[in-house]
Amino acid sequence: MNSVFKTLLTLLLALAGNSWGQASTPGAPAKAAAASVNSVVDFDETTWATLLQSGPRPAAYLFTTSYCSTCPDAFAKVQAGAARKGQAVPLSVVMMDVGGTQALRHMVHFQGLTRMYAFDGYEAAIRQSVDPQWPNVTPYVVLIDKKGRLQKFIGPPTPKALRAWLG
Amino acid sequence: MNINKLPSPLQGLLLAGAALLFCATAWSQTATPVAAAAPSHAAHAPRAQLATGAAFAPDGSLWMVGLDAQQQLSTWRSTDLATWSEPHKLETRGDAISADGENRPKIAFGPQGQVVIAYTRPLDKPYTGWIRMLRSSDGGANFSAPFTVHHDTQEITHRFESVAFDATGALHAVWIDKRDLKASGKGYVGAAIYQTVSTDGGKTFGPDTKVADHSCECCRIALAQGPDGKLRALWRHVFGASTRDHAFANLSDSAPNTFKRATFDEWNIQACPHHGPGLARADSATNPGYHAVWFGIRKEKGADVAAVRYARLGADGQPIASTVRALPDAQAEHADVAATGDKLAIVWRSFQGKETSLKAWLSKDGGKTFETRVLATARGNNDQPHLVSNDARMVVIWRTTEQTQIHELSF
Repeated sequence: MNSVFKTLLTLLLALAGNSWGQASTPGAPAKAAAASVNSVVDFDETTWATLLQSGPRPAAYLFTTSYCSTCPDAFAKVQAGAARKGQAVPLSVVMMDVGGTQALRHMVHFQGLTRMYAFDGYEAAIRQSVDPQWPNVTPYVVLIDKKGRLQKFIGPPTPKALRAWLG
Repeated sequence: MNINKLPSPLQGLLLAGAALLFCATAWSQTATPVAAAAPSHAAHAPRAQLATGAAFAPDGSLWMVGLDAQQQLSTWRSTDLATWSEPHKLETRGDAISADGENRPKIAFGPQGQVVIAYTRPLDKPYTGWIRMLRSSDGGANFSAPFTVHHDTQEITHRFESVAFDATGALHAVWIDKRDLKASGKGYVGAAIYQTVSTDGGKTFGPDTKVADHSCECCRIALAQGPDGKLRALWRHVFGASTRDHAFANLSDSAPNTFKRATFDEWNIQACPHHGPGLARADSATNPGYHAVWFGIRKEKGADVAAVRYARLGADGQPIASTVRALPDAQAEHADVAATGDKLAIVWRSFQGKETSLKAWLSKDGGKTFETRVLATARGNNDQPHLVSNDARMVVIWRTTEQTQIHELSF
């Protein structure tokens, strides 16, 4: 896909993610939005920079794979952290090894998910565009607070980090 | 992104699209989900399944097994270690086949013309699979229909298999299995290692027997023949609640959980490294043992240091602390190891910038000193490199989207 077009679409989606979050009922559990996720959004080497620049805040991204059986528990911790605060925070899952219907099969493991992405391109190149120091270990979790500050984790975030994330 | 640099028609599209999306989502919470209008990943061709297995046949030819361009299980053969034959397609009766990352088809040659090919067939439920096998008794000219190796047929994990013949000709299939997790419930840590043995080249298999409780869930298992001809296994293990180091076992030990701890990174993590170890026999009469490579994160001077590391293991699998060292590449991934006499090779791949490099670390003195070489580079998707050796030759197999390279190593 043309990279300029993809960047535009990513920006549109990011903007939409912001407005969607604002339109949600304050205090509603984040999982209310999960039922509406029915497709997978491309995530290429340009996507992360666009999301950092223009994506929703606060937000959480969990990078996972089709074989990562420890990832659902990590996502549940993030979701519970948001729910405890009573905030409808965008919670995204990024599948690194499969897309389309294969990725959507994993929806059931991520209650509270608001968007699912899937890598589109060479995995190592996309991974290094997110974090050059990240070895291919999942879950890799990024928490972004309302000021755009990042906390990154291999494995589930700590309770302290979850509290700091949403203030 | 600098919007002013975009062509004007795209600016218009962007502004109009953004305005429409804002209006739609603000007007009604029941508006069509934004994701439904996104570029759907389902429209893309699935990622190429490049993971392959390879082995030398008794006649010295090199065989490879993997999925061809039509995603059909096939074998290729090379007699000159430079070119491959046309693919020989295998009948798998419609099995889905895992051929990505740590989960690759394997091939092994036994005595008397026996050849087996093994793969994981993923089932409908995520994280589940069965170990399937095809067997040949005529040197690979003809193969059987696929059959399931293990006796347990629950829809659970039986994945990440490894297969090898021991010196007696017994075929061992070893895999990661979650039957104990299912039976024990949430309190069971990780998965388990199981094996089954065939003494007739894969016609029949003995019972599924447990090698160890509490393995990590999705890393490949390394196998090597010991000096006694029996197989040793090295796998990522969960020690305690969440320390993901490695365990070493003699597969001929009848009792489960008789393994030794082989690495001490003390990596405490609830995560899936998907990065299994490599193992080779140290072929030394005066200093027997094994060479091991593995990935882990350990604390060094208070900092988390991720690395692929090498160590010499003793004959019982315990590491010799003075030999532990990191490979000379912070981006090293998925290393493999092979040894013949004092010649030792470690290969890995490393991505930096736009290219993946295939690198080798070669030793002529059994691992005391090494020389680093870059064997090749490639762009785009590629398989993990695999070392294949027999008594006479040692080669690296590396499959990229363009070709499957063979690099014969000279020391």
